[in-house]
Amino acid sequence: MRQSRSSFTWRKVSESKLFFPVAALALILLFDLILVPGFFTIQTREGNLYGSLIDIVRNGSTVALLAIGMTLVIATGGVDLSVGAVMAIAASVAAILMNPYVLAKELPPHLMKLINDPTFTWQPLWIVILVALFVAIVCGLWNGLLVAYVRIQPMVATLILMTAGRGIAQLITNGVRIQIFYEPYAFIGQGWIVLPFSLYIVAFVYAIAWILTRKTAIGLFIESVGINFRSSFFSGIEEKKIKLLAYTFCGFCAGIAGLVASSNIKTSDAFNIGLTLELDAILAVVIGGTLMSGGRFSLLGSIIGAWVIQAITISMYAVGVPAFALQAIKGVVVILLILLYSEQVRGFVRRIGAQKEA
Amino acid sequence: MRRIGALVSRNQRFIPLLATAVLAFVAYGVGAIIYPGMRDPQVFINIFRNNAYLLISAIGMTFVILTGGIDLSVSGVMALTTVASAALLREGWNAWVVILLMLVMGMALGGVMGSFIAYLKVQPFIATLAGMWFARGMCFFISDDAIAINNRTFRILGGTKILIPGLSDPTAKQGDFVSIFLVVSFVVLAVAMYLAHYRPFGRAVYAIGGNEGRNEQSARLMGLPVKRTKVLVYTLNGFCSALAGIALGVFVLSGHGLYANGTELEVIASVVMGGTSLSGGVGYVFGTLFGVFILGVTQTLIQFNGALSSWWTRIVIGVLMLIFIGVQSLLAARKRGRRRAAAREAGAPAPTAVRNRRLLVFGGSGAVIVIVLALIAINWIPKSPGDETAAKTSTPSSVCEFKPFRQDQAEIAVETGAVVTYERNGGPDCIDELYFIYPDGRIVGDDGTSKIEKQMTPADVDTLLAGINDLGWFTDEMYNTWHTPCGQCYGYYLTVSYDDHIKTVKGVDGGTDAPADYWQVVSLVKGIVPRFATAP
Repeated sequence: MRQSRSSFTWRKVSESKLFFPVAALALILLFDLILVPGFFTIQTREGNLYGSLIDIVRNGSTVALLAIGMTLVIATGGVDLSVGAVMAIAASVAAILMNPYVLAKELPPHLMKLINDPTFTWQPLWIVILVALFVAIVCGLWNGLLVAYVRIQPMVATLILMTAGRGIAQLITNGVRIQIFYEPYAFIGQGWIVLPFSLYIVAFVYAIAWILTRKTAIGLFIESVGINFRSSFFSGIEEKKIKLLAYTFCGFCAGIAGLVASSNIKTSDAFNIGLTLELDAILAVVIGGTLMSGGRFSLLGSIIGAWVIQAITISMYAVGVPAFALQAIKGVVVILLILLYSEQVRGFVRRIGAQKEA
Repeated sequence: MRRIGALVSRNQRFIPLLATAVLAFVAYGVGAIIYPGMRDPQVFINIFRNNAYLLISAIGMTFVILTGGIDLSVSGVMALTTVASAALLREGWNAWVVILLMLVMGMALGGVMGSFIAYLKVQPFIATLAGMWFARGMCFFISDDAIAINNRTFRILGGTKILIPGLSDPTAKQGDFVSIFLVVSFVVLAVAMYLAHYRPFGRAVYAIGGNEGRNEQSARLMGLPVKRTKVLVYTLNGFCSALAGIALGVFVLSGHGLYANGTELEVIASVVMGGTSLSGGVGYVFGTLFGVFILGVTQTLIQFNGALSSWWTRIVIGVLMLIFIGVQSLLAARKRGRRRAAAREAGAPAPTAVRNRRLLVFGGSGAVIVIVLALIAINWIPKSPGDETAAKTSTPSSVCEFKPFRQDQAEIAVETGAVVTYERNGGPDCIDELYFIYPDGRIVGDDGTSKIEKQMTPADVDTLLAGINDLGWFTDEMYNTWHTPCGQCYGYYLTVSYDDHIKTVKGVDGGTDAPADYWQVVSLVKGIVPRFATAP
């Protein structure tokens, strides 16, 4: 009796969607526990928390935001490669709205002073944020239109914006790296209310996505479209609108991620913001247990996936792997993690469960 | 009319390819009309010469995409090849051994990724992404900085000019030429076409791709070696990436882990523009040649224009991809429509509403394309010759009268302490701007009528000078490439004084034989000097 109950819990745990992402995170943290002394210490300074663990969630918040949107897109059976470019566009729009004078070639002295004045902004912050997010949503809408209504394959449709988007961002900023001096904007990425402010943003976006997908039927529709869009269509689900919604939401998330990233480095760099982050985001989703072929998805899993990626990065730094070599290690770890997800390993875990049951 | 229609529908699969080819030549023709310099046959050859590495890589990628996969690792493997070969050559290895070793390394990397994809069922996207990270990271394990290649064989490989009979003067050893790797890339193209269309391997590749992976199942049931073919395809692509990396290394004569950053996108874009469907199974290796051609023409047009920034390349490529994909899905829709018509004859009802809506959306996206093109045109037209602004600034003729360089002024400035003098001459607006950069960070610009100044920190100037020196300014590799410039090109006169050396190099935009790092130096300086307000 006792045995069967324990096997029941094991199976429940091992078959939970969160089992593998949490196991991966635990594996990396275990590695840190053994090799990096003091990795888990958390300090308080002026009531705020600091430490390696906090760094993981703070630096991972950009990818986590992207991953939330990406999860919905991947769940519909698509993929969005343009999120990095959309980040750059949103950041560029925000930077220009705060300080359009940086683009001018020559300025009268009274405006020249404004360029690096930390209290100056051309438009109020809420307009800056709203317009940047609006532009990002339009980008997402464009992707969604191409995928849902023109029926272009998702990878190709979003590749277009991925290629052109960064060019558009450079067009907006005239190819210049714009430093952002406005102090309140920096709070988005660098602020701290006990925990990093960006973590609250992640929680907020997660809450929106969670309510949208789990408290309405939309989540179910998304899964059904991802599993078989034709039969969803025949059962009366407007699969095109569902896809459109997913891509638009992904654009929205990418916009927020762009704001967080640019505020974190206080610079809008159309060349580098979000470069290759689309790959990180997709990886986070895959680590989080959502299949690339679409269908069932786990938002929380994707966020944990983003933290797994960041945990790899931070532990590598902590062990003393030089920054440039990090990518090679990351590549190897990714392959190992993906192997962990393969059918063979899943079967092995299932067999353990079966043995316990026997 | 009917016969034309029959002809079109019989050769429908060639339409994307044909569209690409026509568009490429039209773009080149338009360029040749606007910019007389582009009529030079050498400029035409250079479109391929400068993109030889891209073509080699795109050929391998075509096979991967035909199987319905994707390979993001190409740029990483390219960079790794440049770094590894540069490092081995520095150690004094034989160049041919190094090349062989690099090719084997590329194939090994490709083979490993292919095995992961074929046998462990890892998504191509993820496996090759990990491969890219691995390759790029390994570059920095080998060397943090750029390594120069001084090997004689590599220099010969890069510097040999194969003169074209009829377009050149063999006795004077002058005239139009092709490079060794341009020839290599076309050999690779020929071999790839043979492999794709006349070998069982090619047939298996076509059979695997398409239909969202369902064809793979059919291919397996037909008894085709699906897994082996997949591994072979990725191995082939690894080989092509390594070969492309060698071509790149020979072209720039150095190796660094950041080379070819983002090239995988250009490679994929060329393949898509060449008419290969990203879902696999449809397309031609030959089309990829035109995809690369379009990319090259776009770059050349933007370079000749001089006023458009390089990021326009990306936007134009994005728009072009949209158009090609639009054509492809339109063809697919027509095919479906015909099938539906056949079904209707058999008595089944046809959902025309869906098709109408699709047409509507097509109209919408077509309108967007037109708007974007119009925007590009607006940006373009004022800079073209014969226009009011160009006429106002100088000569009314379409070709700008080139002003002589103000050499004496530059020499005096260097004697009085300027470390860099930079003169930019010509261009669509026929300007003549001379800049001096002083060690204390002062930059003075003079365009003949007005002066502007800009202040930087002395440290910035030091970085600039060190950067220019690192790029090989004072070596024999940086030489004058001054000829008569094309009508709308800029001429450059650049003097650098650093560590008791003073050297001047003259060059011209659209130049065909500029040293590898020359443009990097020019862009370093160009990025730092202040801009004059353009004519209102």
